Amino acid sequence: MKRFLTGVLALAMVLSLAACGGQSGSGGSDSSGGGSSGGSSDDGAASTELNIYMWQQYISDQLIADFESENNCKVNLSYMSDNADAITRLTAGGGQEYDLIMTCDAYMESLVAGDYVQKLNLDNIPNAAANINEAYWTAKDYCIPYLMNYIYVVYNTETCPIEITCYNDLLDPSLKGQISTIDGARNLFPIALIALGYDPNSTEESEIAAAYEWLVKFNENVVAYGNAEQNLTNGTASVALTFDGNASWAMSEMGESNPLVVAPFTDDAVQLGFDLYVIPQGAAHVDLAEKFLNYICDPQVMAANLEEYPYSCPNDAAVAAASEAYQNDPARDFNYKENVFFQEDVGDALIIYNDYYQKLKVGE
Amino acid sequence: MKKSIDEASDLQAISRRRDVRRKTLPALAQAGPVSVWMILFVTIPMLFIIYISFMSRGVFGDVVYEFSLESYQTLLDATYFKVILKSLQVAVFTTVLCLALGYPFAYYIARKPPETASKLIMLIMIPFWTNSLMRLNSWLLLFQTSGPINSFLQWSGITDGPITFIYTDALVVLGMITNMLPFAVLPLYSTIEKLQKSLLEASSDLGATPVQTFLKVTLPLTFPGIFSAIILVFIPSLGIYTVSDVLGGGKVLYIGNIIKNQFGSIRNWPLGAALSVLLLVITGLLIFIYTRFAKLEDMEVV
Amino acid sequence: MANLTKIQRRKKALSILGNFYSIIIYAVLYIPVVVMMIFSFNNQRYNYYWNGFTTQWYGKLLSNNALIGSLWYSLIIAVLATVISVLIGTLGALGLKRFEFRGKKLINNMLYIPIIVPEIVLAVALLIIFMNIGFALGMGSILIGHCTFCIPYAVVTIKGRISGDGDSLEEASMDLGANRIQTFFRVTLPSIMPGVMSAAFLSFTLSIDDVVMSNLLAGAKNSTLPVLILSMNKTGITPDVNALTTIMILVIVAGMVLSNLVTGRLKKKAPK
Repeated sequence: MKRFLTGVLALAMVLSLAACGGQSGSGGSDSSGGGSSGGSSDDGAASTELNIYMWQQYISDQLIADFESENNCKVNLSYMSDNADAITRLTAGGGQEYDLIMTCDAYMESLVAGDYVQKLNLDNIPNAAANINEAYWTAKDYCIPYLMNYIYVVYNTETCPIEITCYNDLLDPSLKGQISTIDGARNLFPIALIALGYDPNSTEESEIAAAYEWLVKFNENVVAYGNAEQNLTNGTASVALTFDGNASWAMSEMGESNPLVVAPFTDDAVQLGFDLYVIPQGAAHVDLAEKFLNYICDPQVMAANLEEYPYSCPNDAAVAAASEAYQNDPARDFNYKENVFFQEDVGDALIIYNDYYQKLKVGE
Repeated sequence: MKKSIDEASDLQAISRRRDVRRKTLPALAQAGPVSVWMILFVTIPMLFIIYISFMSRGVFGDVVYEFSLESYQTLLDATYFKVILKSLQVAVFTTVLCLALGYPFAYYIARKPPETASKLIMLIMIPFWTNSLMRLNSWLLLFQTSGPINSFLQWSGITDGPITFIYTDALVVLGMITNMLPFAVLPLYSTIEKLQKSLLEASSDLGATPVQTFLKVTLPLTFPGIFSAIILVFIPSLGIYTVSDVLGGGKVLYIGNIIKNQFGSIRNWPLGAALSVLLLVITGLLIFIYTRFAKLEDMEVV
Repeated sequence: MANLTKIQRRKKALSILGNFYSIIIYAVLYIPVVVMMIFSFNNQRYNYYWNGFTTQWYGKLLSNNALIGSLWYSLIIAVLATVISVLIGTLGALGLKRFEFRGKKLINNMLYIPIIVPEIVLAVALLIIFMNIGFALGMGSILIGHCTFCIPYAVVTIKGRISGDGDSLEEASMDLGANRIQTFFRVTLPSIMPGVMSAAFLSFTLSIDDVVMSNLLAGAKNSTLPVLILSMNKTGITPDVNALTTIMILVIVAGMVLSNLVTGRLKKKAPK
């Protein structure tokens, strides 16, 4: 009965929406012309439009403008506010409205398994194969890494009472209310797991539980989750667990007498993550998307982009071509570049992580 | 005497029956659009959400379409009880404060001549046309360690060192109030404005003190407005999380955060759906109890 | 006589108190806006703290087409959502209050759902349904999302304003020969106008500041201003957004002052 009812209701909705859709289409709404009618790559004609979904303030306007004039096309950028936005787009729907979507390496396994992203034709993207450091290239056939970020500890030498050389130092009672940290179950728990000597992508509940205990102590020292740049520069926090990109901005904001330094870790591994582009299933302008990917992998193009957005970059040739200022950025002045770990898809264990994460934030 | 009443009620019944016929078309025209809209865009999506809540999460965060009570079993965990309790606390606190602050304010506006009143109402709304995230951020900029308030306190010698205002509960409360106040003021204003001045004057002419007049006349008559205000403030406060994320430093999770995470980063839609159903049930129950307690015959008294 | 002056004195004291109280409330509501406006002159890449005066952000704003475009997009959506919601909401409030029909209770209860359920839940459900029936995402889908949560607010606000005694007035009006439509515009509407106005304000406010629906239901080409601002939040909000907000507020204030002057002038010309 219920199913029947649902069916009837759904039918009613389909019909009325179809009516609405027809109207808004003929009414000349600005959103028409996407999807079906947009130039598909099959008919041979080159696409004139490229829709990209990515982070805001993450790519040079000049780069986009140059690409547009070179390929005689229009690039539409829209922006996400959370990695989850891109994942929802890809898995729930709306992904096919875009030709390129930015996501991160941790999600690649499930995106490939769920058949949400297209396999890339790397013959059309020769720059990627030539320039991107092999060691960094995860899920090689399905994505192109764009920029990358470390999650490490940075602290203010003037206000931080101790010197920090490992994750366990973050539990020091003198740091109470001093730490501004990144948020999210899958960003926080690996830190604790490493501090305890476990695999950062552990799926053992006992280890995750131990990590939870560690984070409870850590939580007492936390002043805020998120906002690391702001909290470091305005003096609210003396220590931050954050992305190297944010640390870099904070350091440049502090000017000449920058008191911020990257914690010189000796043993503990640091998380390295990639922001990468995928082509969603059903994308309308694959040809242009491939051209774009090849374009941003050009060392000169990327080097210019790095001047504006000085984040860590997996493109070795581009880093070599970048300016001295970029190469001497104090935010990348650390010696553990090789001692890194990646966030892996932990499958069902994600539920365990989340349970403990919620417990952490709900408190006893 | 009795007979005449009977006759009158008979007449009423007849006229009512005639009304029903006469009113079918207008009823359809008036209640039709809202009914269709609610069925299409609320009932159907909610049925879908309820349906999903009885499914389970796949390894990669997809929905496995097989009947399962897994999500509802998860809800028995003590964590969710605590989260809901905490969210309820915040919502009650916010509602009480907004009502207490909003009522006199609404009263003040409602006593003004209509033209002034509508301008004053507009004045309340204007700040809310700016971005809420930026408004919250403004409080941070104002109160942060090196911010103007702290600088002033130290410059004037009131305090020696900076005071930690930000990421405290007090600031969260301030943020909640500034976010929710208009939702209390608007419905209160529209019922208080409806109050007939003559009634109040009559009350005071009959020797009632202002307090008596307020308690015996004003308050009961504005009860529908108070009810609307409670609904419009309490319920959204229950699901709100941006305020505590920005001003509280994201140290506490509320039910809104948890549901958002289930649909976002954790991608456990069945659990997110089950949590939403739970939230619906709780709020429904609260409204039900409230209407009984307040002796309102039906929710629709709003 | 003495009694009267006592009452007058009390009234005066109360009105001073009332003025004082409302000034405080307005101040609390406006402080964040003023801070926002001041920080549009901040000489910093993102607004982290006050770092000196500059007007450069107003110049940068002019060349930031994406930002200005998103404001227009938001405004158009908000206006349309307000018109649709108030229209459906006003009719609905009258219909639900005055008429009995089967399923009325269901509709009444459904109205609470968009207020109760976190927006993300309805947004995800709508998104999945839109995707399954092939409804293109864009302004249409955002509008549907916005109206879905604005209509309940509109109905609740307007219903609070409708009273039973309106009925008799309407009957009288119709007895006197006015038709239904005349009665609606001459009698019903004026009596519920404050409620309608509140509903319009609420709908506009809810729509113009919405992120969740606008984010999930947006197409690839346009995004609303709040979505754009939220996406900046990872790194920081640039002061050109403050500049935009400042201009917007100034335009609104100027508009209010202007309309005041105009209505004042008209009144003088045609005293009642």
